[in-house]
Amino acid sequence: MLRINPNRMTPYMFLAPAAIIMAFALLYPIGYMVYASFLDWNPSQRIGEADWVGLRNYANLLQDESFRESFFVTIKFAFAVVTLEMIIGVGLALLLDRNIRGMSMLRTIFILPMMIAPIVVGLMWRYMYHPTVGIFNQTLKSWGFEPIPWLSDSNWSLISIIIADIWQWTPFIFILALAALQSLPRSALEAARIDGATGWQQIFYIKIPLMMPVLIVTALLRLIDAFKVLEVILVMTNGGPGLSTEIMSLRIARTASEFRELGVAAAMSNLLLLLLFVLTVGMFIYNKIQENRAARIRKVAEEA
Amino acid sequence: MINAIKIAATSVAALSLTASVALANPYAPYKGDTLVVNFPAHPHYNAVMKVLPEFTKETGIKVEVDQLQYLKMREKQTLELTKSKGDYDLLAYVVFSKADYVYADQLENLARYFMNPKLSDPSYDASDIIDGYIGNIGVAGGEKGYLPGPTGSLYGMPFGSETSILGYRKDIFEKHNLKVPENYDELLDLACKIPQLEPGMGGLSSRAASGHHASHAFLLHLAPLGGRIFDDEWNPIVNNEAGVKAAQALKKIVDCGPEGARTFGFAEAGAAFLQGRTAMFLDSTVFAGQVNDASKSKVVGKVGWAAHPAGTRRGSQTGGFGIAIPKNAQNKEAAFLLLQWLTSKKADRLIALAGGNPSRYSTHNDAEVNEKYPHMKVFGEALKYADPDWRPIIPVWGKINADLGTALSKVLTEDLDIKEALDGVAERTKKIMDQAGYNTWK
Repeated sequence: MLRINPNRMTPYMFLAPAAIIMAFALLYPIGYMVYASFLDWNPSQRIGEADWVGLRNYANLLQDESFRESFFVTIKFAFAVVTLEMIIGVGLALLLDRNIRGMSMLRTIFILPMMIAPIVVGLMWRYMYHPTVGIFNQTLKSWGFEPIPWLSDSNWSLISIIIADIWQWTPFIFILALAALQSLPRSALEAARIDGATGWQQIFYIKIPLMMPVLIVTALLRLIDAFKVLEVILVMTNGGPGLSTEIMSLRIARTASEFRELGVAAAMSNLLLLLLFVLTVGMFIYNKIQENRAARIRKVAEEA
Repeated sequence: MINAIKIAATSVAALSLTASVALANPYAPYKGDTLVVNFPAHPHYNAVMKVLPEFTKETGIKVEVDQLQYLKMREKQTLELTKSKGDYDLLAYVVFSKADYVYADQLENLARYFMNPKLSDPSYDASDIIDGYIGNIGVAGGEKGYLPGPTGSLYGMPFGSETSILGYRKDIFEKHNLKVPENYDELLDLACKIPQLEPGMGGLSSRAASGHHASHAFLLHLAPLGGRIFDDEWNPIVNNEAGVKAAQALKKIVDCGPEGARTFGFAEAGAAFLQGRTAMFLDSTVFAGQVNDASKSKVVGKVGWAAHPAGTRRGSQTGGFGIAIPKNAQNKEAAFLLLQWLTSKKADRLIALAGGNPSRYSTHNDAEVNEKYPHMKVFGEALKYADPDWRPIIPVWGKINADLGTALSKVLTEDLDIKEALDGVAERTKKIMDQAGYNTWK
């Protein structure tokens, strides 16, 4: 009775190569990182020579003031950036969702910022923010205003890197929002127009709700990216002044290369991974609830 | 017939001559070998690249150089050194890597090479090499573990080392009849006086950017003002009176510095001086080579040099690079010959003439070198006070350094109280030291 039926095995056999590749390419590195986070490991040692310290790295991190500070800087940065980029990106998409001549050309120009290498973006903004020769302060001075200490004041520096990130990544949201808008069912919009909905009503009651699934995924992608942004900030401020712009990925990089504590760096990465994981799951659950609610309403409407 | 004998005789004589020359040539066994070395992209090593063909010509040993940005270099080396068979026969290391590499047992002890009569050159004259540099960069295992002392031994040779030096604008000093500062009171006084005398010009350009740069600038003042990071028992004393004084000095210098000084790194601080936006510069000697390069500098011919001003004592920084032979190198003997040749009197002079940083007293006093680079003599004088212990070279220093730099950046940009900031550093440092085992014997 227990004889294996070769026919039933077939699908698993076909799946096997993919499963094996998944296990090695995806799970092995993550497992390695989790394992490393329990070690006192410096880069001059092979991993086998490192001492096992259990949860010490995590315990130290939770007590580490600098880590906590950089954690909150990251949260502030990520949420500010994603919120502002979503508003500006979707707003631009709504404005430009019409037949303008040369639209494809315009779109290409719009997405240029995100095609530039991050190091270059960092350098560019660093020089634009330069206290004396930078264009912002030159302009402010020529208009008779006080120059702003863009990168040398800890209150301004976070704002400065947020501005640079918005400049670079709003186009990403813009392009996805525009694509979503253009694929909306024209019939719904037409019906709304016939029923006399104003422009604002169309946006808030029809366009945005229909775009929601795309927007959620877009926001999620940006959020994950914003938590991991490194190069631009590295070049612009290297985390300073103080710790005011030291986001987590920068702290992880410094922990690994400057402090030479690979175990601690791995523990930090795991915490970041955990945080992003919770955010992702949360977002999908929210999305699911919304969909179920919509389905219920539709069902009620159909029954009535 | 006689002619034929004559020819035979001369050729025999010539042959025997070449044979005896070959016997006297210690490089002969390695002729035709190729050494792979790892050097940083750095003004000194750029000068070395110009001199290296001379080595190949003289010895027949070829050298292949892998030049990397110096922070990248450290990462690459960390990987290289853990391999069982390394690619590099000789490598240049940043001074603070000494602690990590020696502790992980990755560098060859040089004693057995200097003991080997076939390799060691009797005319090497090691006492001519600047003491502070050897102590700081080459020796480990003595006092405090990272300094020379009865138990210390040699793992590398200083090569491309540097100390701190004061550069000043001769024209500005003459115009206002100012005296070149010799001590810290005069220095700090001048730093804030110059912006008043020359509106728009900063006093002294210093680095101040969060992290390594702020920490470095602070340490420059800490040693001359009588401070240290640790006492002799590894207790952090950075927050004592001298520490507070050094931080006050840094704050004063940055406040009276050029616009934007609070986020300057080494490059920006140097650029401000080269652009004529400050009247003084106090940092590494490696900078001196650029001052008279008209493509980078607007102050060609206007800069004078003086020793790092004294506080309660004299103490200029020691830093830069050394060269060492990795434990996993493939051709260690030939690598030693290259190391010895590069740090010999002859090569040191050639490299100095090509624009590098010499490591020998004799080169600093050499007439030809001084004619080309008149500041060399001042540098040589200043080097007598090079302080090998101006910062601790221990494996956990990277972490303490970053914390110190962050705290100081907060002092400079957020007006955090100096004492409070340094107390915080001392407290966190103590914890780091506890964890690293420095208090095991207490």
